[in-house]
Amino acid sequence: MTDTAPNAVDATPTVALAPIVTARGLRKRFGSTEILHGLDFDIPAGRIYGLIGHNGAGKTTTLNALLGLTSYQGTVRVLGQDPYAQRSELMKDVAFISDVASLPRFMRVRELFALLTNVHPNFRQDKAQKFLEGTDVKPGALIGHLSKGMIAQLHLAVVMAIDAKLLVLDEPTLGLDITYRKRFYRRLLEDYMTEERTLLITTHQVDEIEFMLSDIMFIRDGDLVLHMPMETVSTRYTQLVVSPDKLTTAASLKPIFSETRFGQTVMVFDGANRSDLEAFGTVSTPTLSDLFVALMQREPGDHK
Amino acid sequence: MNPFNETQPIFVQIRQRIANMILSDTVKDGEALPSVRSIAADLSVNPLTVTRAYEALVDLGVVESRRGMGMFVAAGARTKLLKHEREKFLAEEWPRIRTQIDALGLDLASLLNEGAKK
Repeated sequence: MTDTAPNAVDATPTVALAPIVTARGLRKRFGSTEILHGLDFDIPAGRIYGLIGHNGAGKTTTLNALLGLTSYQGTVRVLGQDPYAQRSELMKDVAFISDVASLPRFMRVRELFALLTNVHPNFRQDKAQKFLEGTDVKPGALIGHLSKGMIAQLHLAVVMAIDAKLLVLDEPTLGLDITYRKRFYRRLLEDYMTEERTLLITTHQVDEIEFMLSDIMFIRDGDLVLHMPMETVSTRYTQLVVSPDKLTTAASLKPIFSETRFGQTVMVFDGANRSDLEAFGTVSTPTLSDLFVALMQREPGDHK
Repeated sequence: MNPFNETQPIFVQIRQRIANMILSDTVKDGEALPSVRSIAADLSVNPLTVTRAYEALVDLGVVESRRGMGMFVAAGARTKLLKHEREKFLAEEWPRIRTQIDALGLDLASLLNEGAKK
């Protein structure tokens, strides 16, 4: 990156204002196939971001680029650092839980904590133990004998104990039953989230975290098709359950999506005036999964 | 299970729940209200959404934010809130209900009689 300005404004960045993550023209190709087509986004501190997309859309590749786990083209800064070049430095302040995360199965929980105390400068064993007191995980337990739900709790304990500024969760609750999923998110909100900390989550179970999110990013075939605060979603998009006699008129208002299920037609509008639509049926804000379906159905390149 | 309805913004619904705690005297003048964090965790919502709900009540003078201590019911909150909620009902909800009564061909006086009989 070249800087031609004589007095670069960002020479002394204000930590509170600088985004936690910045990506400009983020591209990734595997062989001759381009997986990410140049993503641009900023993630500020104190937010809970949901990264949502189909399997193979590029979610995990994006996360891996942010975590320095894969090479890429373009510029990425995480907490002001280049994740690929400064990965070990970055890992002091960034934590990652993935659906394939594996803790050493042959170790006991307390042995894992002892190991982490040696390898991670910010790991606080007392914090990890304190976190586990509220769970079924015993310090003497062999990790290989823990259930999936307990492993998730152990992961959380480790994350809490390193005081990470950015926590990246890739399908964190995959394979967990509903009780453990709820408990997992509950503890995240109770113990992890503060104004200085940032959470980035990918999941297919969008409905479960919809109200937790402050912002969403929809990714489709390697492109960012939507990136906005949740508040903007509710002002910009409107869902209309159309009264049967108003179908033609409503359709003429150019919904971005229309579907008839069991005799009932549901339309989604972008940028429509909500009070105008009230004349045609029942109006509400689409859920994230409804919006996802609506936007993903559009032809590529159709989105303004 | 979704604890919210789809027609109102979440922060409005949370604001209403807190307001109901004050109106029903569950939490009295000067007493502490649940923390932003605990409400966020209980309802699985973003802490900023809860903060927004509290801010709306702070603006009304019903809730006091004490630095480092959390949220408290302000002095005279119940009376103030009741006045505000009544005005809001008369200005926003009543005209809508009134229109519906007319649309259904019901008569206001006989409705009131029905209500009085119960």
